[in-house]
Amino acid sequence: MKNRGIAFKLVLFTLSGTMAVFVSAFAYVYFSSKSSMMHFVEMNGRNATHAAAYQIESVLRGVEKVPLNYAALLTSGYYKASDLSLLPRQMLATNPEIFGAAIAFEPEAFEPGKHYFAPYCYRGKNGVLTDIMLGGAHYDYFTMDWYQIPRELDRPQWTEPYYDKGGGNKLMATFSVPFHKELNGKRKFQGVVTADVALDGLRKIVSSTRIYKSGYAFLISRNGVFVTHPISGMIMTNSIFSIAEAKHSNFLRLIGQKMIAGGEGFVELPRGLLYSGKCWLYYTPLPSIGWSIGIVTPEHELLADVLRFGRMVIVIGICGVLLLALIVLLIARRISKPIIDLSATTLEIARGNLDATLPDIKRRDEVGALARSFEGMRVALKDYIENLTQTTAARERMESELKIASRIQMSFLPKVFPPLPGNARVDIAARLEPARHIGGDLYDYFLIDEDQLFFTVGDVSDKGIPAALFMAVTKTLLKGIAEKGMSPSEVLLKCNHELCGGNDSMMFVTLFCGILDLRSGRLRYSNAGHEHPFLLRRGARPERLIVPDGFLLGVNEEASYETMETLLQPGDKLIVYTDGVTEAINSAGEFYSDSKLLDQIESCASLSADGIASRILQSVKTFSSGVPQADDITLLAIWFTGPKV
Amino acid sequence: MDVNGRKQDSFFIVTVAGRMDATTAPEFEKSCLEWIGQGESAFIVDLKELEYMSSAGLRSILVVGKKVKAAGGTISFSSLTPNVAHVFSISGFGSMFKIHDCLETALANS
Repeated sequence: MKNRGIAFKLVLFTLSGTMAVFVSAFAYVYFSSKSSMMHFVEMNGRNATHAAAYQIESVLRGVEKVPLNYAALLTSGYYKASDLSLLPRQMLATNPEIFGAAIAFEPEAFEPGKHYFAPYCYRGKNGVLTDIMLGGAHYDYFTMDWYQIPRELDRPQWTEPYYDKGGGNKLMATFSVPFHKELNGKRKFQGVVTADVALDGLRKIVSSTRIYKSGYAFLISRNGVFVTHPISGMIMTNSIFSIAEAKHSNFLRLIGQKMIAGGEGFVELPRGLLYSGKCWLYYTPLPSIGWSIGIVTPEHELLADVLRFGRMVIVIGICGVLLLALIVLLIARRISKPIIDLSATTLEIARGNLDATLPDIKRRDEVGALARSFEGMRVALKDYIENLTQTTAARERMESELKIASRIQMSFLPKVFPPLPGNARVDIAARLEPARHIGGDLYDYFLIDEDQLFFTVGDVSDKGIPAALFMAVTKTLLKGIAEKGMSPSEVLLKCNHELCGGNDSMMFVTLFCGILDLRSGRLRYSNAGHEHPFLLRRGARPERLIVPDGFLLGVNEEASYETMETLLQPGDKLIVYTDGVTEAINSAGEFYSDSKLLDQIESCASLSADGIASRILQSVKTFSSGVPQADDITLLAIWFTGPKV
Repeated sequence: MDVNGRKQDSFFIVTVAGRMDATTAPEFEKSCLEWIGQGESAFIVDLKELEYMSSAGLRSILVVGKKVKAAGGTISFSSLTPNVAHVFSISGFGSMFKIHDCLETALANS
């Protein structure tokens, strides 16, 4: 995920957000439309069942009226007995809803001696009205429900549906109304007037009642027996309770009880009870006959619209999401493309190609700003590198020049003692370690005549190139000035005079110089502000040479210098140095100091001049190891070996 | 190295602390030249806190001394530490500049 591109992330985040919104909107719409659809279905069911119930009720009411009227007529007694046989035919002729009608008398009630008297008319084949007389050994109508129950209850009564074998041979229900005779102020039951309703007529009404394609309606009687059902095998043989029993459904039994108790409702039924799938049942009673009508609607049909609507929404949603993904992808590519280009170019820049052209991004958005700042960075980097290259080149040139200057400077300095005629009477050695490439320290020694050795050690103020130039001037001057017959102070005086001219920068040099007579050991010397040398007499401890005062060279034109002298004995040694020795610093910030130098010199009694110079330099270097050298270090050791033999 | 200057009476007192060598001496030189440029002329340089002075330091003092004299002013030094006193004495500065033991005597005698 972390490694995926912007386009992927953008698509992912946008789509997941959109999907979440879409799914919740879809769920809301689906469930709310389902609920309103259910409401609509319930209303539809109610309307349809009510309409069917009303239709059936009106048929039944119409049928009921006829026997009620005839019963009233019979009770009143205003009729001719001879007309009685014609009355059923009359009832059928004017009431097409009635399938059959009968007037059934009590035994002996119509005329003494006549056990059965029940004229019955029904619609036979092709609707032809057929008159028969009911009653006989094979048909004892007194035991029939349609006769017995109203007689016992003494009120009009609908029978349960039954298959009549006596007359109509049809599935029917009969409405029976008792009629009476007033005898001595007492009402005496005389018989019943009946009207039959063929149930196939009701079935037509019921079966035309449905609200969806594969839904159906049914009628159940007071006992829950199916009076009408689309499967004709169910009629009269099964009841809603027998189905509940077979399916072990207590729920269906409860509903059946509610139905026969005259309840009304809309319930969801599990699959396999009244329909193979899940279904909904609307039921309402037929109050006059005590039956109930139900409408079964399969859920998949009921929800077909909702499902179709849902499918459509899903298809639209998926198309929308895909379209959105495409758009987001395009936008993301539009954003990331320049970044990818930019990244490729910057990688090239990072590899060192500062001339790589950045993609020309004219956009004014963040990417454009990024591209412009990259371009700025590239240009700045290029300038910087160029600048650095030049500076480095200049510095390298300077370095190499300094190296050459250093070689030149070092080549000024005498390395070996000039060959002396005959035996050497003096051993001389020197060391010079500049703090930088070139320095301001100097030393020199040369013979000004056969026996006179001139030597000097100096320290120019400051370091580096100015000091080196000043050093070169001083050294050259000294070489030119020091001549036979001159005293050291005269040399210094003259040198000072030369250096003072035009020295605005106040560069100066401290200098110790001496002239040693190699024959006699007589040492004459003078000093211009320089460190006082050490004298190591043979067999004695080192001591400071007593030196005349003298101002450093190059500053004060009026300065004066003195010459002092001492006699060196064979074996005596003189060590001249610059303050770079005693002021060398160790890592603790301490100076090398005079006392350390003194100790070193004391240990050098048996060494040659070169040995002394080496040992002291090594000691200083060891002391200050790890600390950058602050000042030039110079050492000059002279060992007077003895007069010329 | 720290270089500070302050007015006291008619004098301008410069205190220098730390090490005065090739790296730090130009700072001393620059500060003093600025003060000269501002019209200060009676300088007392208090070296009580100065631990070390190299030849570059001496050169700066020479430059400053020359400028002060050219402007008709005076410069003296006070409270030299042993190291610095040694350098002053060897280089002959003692004969060129007035040196005082402490700031008080410098103020009294300049």
